[in-house]
Amino acid sequence: MAVVTVDKLSKRYDSSHELAVKDVSFTVANGEFLVLLGPSGCGKSSVLRMIAGLEPITSGTVSIDGRVMNPVPAKDRDIAMVFQSYALYPHMDVYANLAFGLRRRHVTREEIDRRVQGVAAKLGLIPFLRRKPHALSGGQRQRVALGRAIVRDPKVFLFDEPLSNLDAALRVSTRNELIKQQHELGTTTIYVTHDQVEAMTMGDRICIMNRGQVVQVGRPLEVYRSPTDTFVARFLGNPPMNLLRGRLDPAGERTMLRLGDTAFELPGWTPTAFARQTDREVVAGVRPEDLYESPLPGLEARTVLLPVRVITVEPLGPETLLLLSLGGSDEELIARVGRDTALKNGDQTSIALDTAAVSLFDPTTTKVVTRPS
Amino acid sequence: MAQWLAYLRRTPFLLFIVLYTIATGGPFLWVACMSLRTTPEIFANPYDLPTHLHWDKFADAWTTSNYGTYFWNSTIVVVTAVALVTVIGAMAAHCLARYRFRGRRVLRFLILSGMVVPPQLLILSLFQIMLDYRLYNSLTGLMIVYVATQLAMTVYILEGFFAQIPQDLFDAARMDGYSDFEIFWRITLPIGLAAIFTAVTLNFIILWNEFLYAVVLLTDDSKRTLPLGIMHFMGGHQLDVGMIATGLMIAILPVILLYAFFSETMIRGMTAGAVR
Repeated sequence: MAVVTVDKLSKRYDSSHELAVKDVSFTVANGEFLVLLGPSGCGKSSVLRMIAGLEPITSGTVSIDGRVMNPVPAKDRDIAMVFQSYALYPHMDVYANLAFGLRRRHVTREEIDRRVQGVAAKLGLIPFLRRKPHALSGGQRQRVALGRAIVRDPKVFLFDEPLSNLDAALRVSTRNELIKQQHELGTTTIYVTHDQVEAMTMGDRICIMNRGQVVQVGRPLEVYRSPTDTFVARFLGNPPMNLLRGRLDPAGERTMLRLGDTAFELPGWTPTAFARQTDREVVAGVRPEDLYESPLPGLEARTVLLPVRVITVEPLGPETLLLLSLGGSDEELIARVGRDTALKNGDQTSIALDTAAVSLFDPTTTKVVTRPS
Repeated sequence: MAQWLAYLRRTPFLLFIVLYTIATGGPFLWVACMSLRTTPEIFANPYDLPTHLHWDKFADAWTTSNYGTYFWNSTIVVVTAVALVTVIGAMAAHCLARYRFRGRRVLRFLILSGMVVPPQLLILSLFQIMLDYRLYNSLTGLMIVYVATQLAMTVYILEGFFAQIPQDLFDAARMDGYSDFEIFWRITLPIGLAAIFTAVTLNFIILWNEFLYAVVLLTDDSKRTLPLGIMHFMGGHQLDVGMIATGLMIAILPVILLYAFFSETMIRGMTAGAVR
């Protein structure tokens, strides 16, 4: 049980002049599952390694339960880590791998045996206790790596992309297994991944990083629904959010948004919200699932029809993706529609947009324009 | 037809293997035959097979020709030197492969450059140093020289292997609470066992047959190692071919045994990392 606080954490590697991690701050509550999400090289693994004590901290602090951990060596932080490569000791069998961390901590032989057997039973590893890692499948190795972390009963779990070496089917089942174990144990967990599906499904909260900095922290759906900038908007969601150049036209107390040839009213937005958008240029963010082939029944009032030309139709099975060209502009957008669409390549048609679902971003700062409440 | 062609295509390769085996195995068999024949028999017909097996020559060589002493001297010097060079070399290789410290590249270059210096270049200064430290004509002195000369190759073999051990294993062991030395002892050494066997076998073979340093640094007959002892039978006026052959067989035996036991591990160690 522990609260992990990271405060203004920065990291500069010897070989570089630039900071790999810049002023990263967040707090992980007791028993919380926080996912650090970001593209490769965004510094998320560096943050994790600094929390673990495997990497020296350039500036800032890491605290556990209020105690600053910077000078404490990795072995005394009471943290267990699961590595991307699993890092199983190849010359030891599964039992020895599970017991290795306990042996060093002067746990009695009987207690080690009790805990190893307990964890092995929990993870279904009893039949493999005498096998060496090379004789295990990828999924079994993953479970041993997880077991090695669990058996120590640490204050904090750290995961560094633990599922990325598994095939797609195994990844889903192991993901569910991990969520189940974490819920049962209730141990504070920090999980690094570049896979947004893992982040969305596993995390109590997601911390999105880009270029060494925290961009947004929040609950998965909150981050998905209200991205704070265009990076988060494009990074979360597959296909990502459509970002379209638009112009604002104030009309009295109402605000009109022009996309291509079409101008329409944005419900709930007053011109005061755009006081800083002096040149009236904005970037409009639209999720592919907020575009429909025809207006949703009952929502016609807040729906606008955009003239489009179909470029490609991609049937995925449960749904179909349409790549569209917006009338009166050179912009393309993707719509996620039902699987039984009759649209074909080259069709001229119109697509319905739920205007309440539009996010607006400042084109110069890329930050979101806050919707007036 | 296809079968016949396949055989034909393999013929040059098979021919090469046969010739190579004759070239390397032939002299060995010849010496083995001679080791069981007396010198007059050999002079009468050098290439004959033994008509009467003189096994007693081995006992004779061991006792009256002093091969027992030479064998014992060689064993002490080589086994100790190999043990020391393996431990020191493994620790150095672990540090060079695992830690990034100031001066690492220079240190690595200095150690490995020992491999390219020919022994003939060192022998005079080494002789003087050994005299100064009263290590001339002593087995301890020769042992120290052996450790020093083989260190470069040992570090070279082991560092290459240790560097391939994933960093995650060391990080995991650190998280599990182990110190740097314990990590070396419990992770690097057991995982690098194939490379260590390779280094041990190569060092043993090289040092067991070493002649130049031994002939310069040892003078007493009671301190001679096996290669020197065998040379002893090649005097200016006498040439006891039969006894030389028996001595050679005694000298070769430990190497063959070692290789028979460790050859597979050794090949694994040398080709490790070639296929991932």
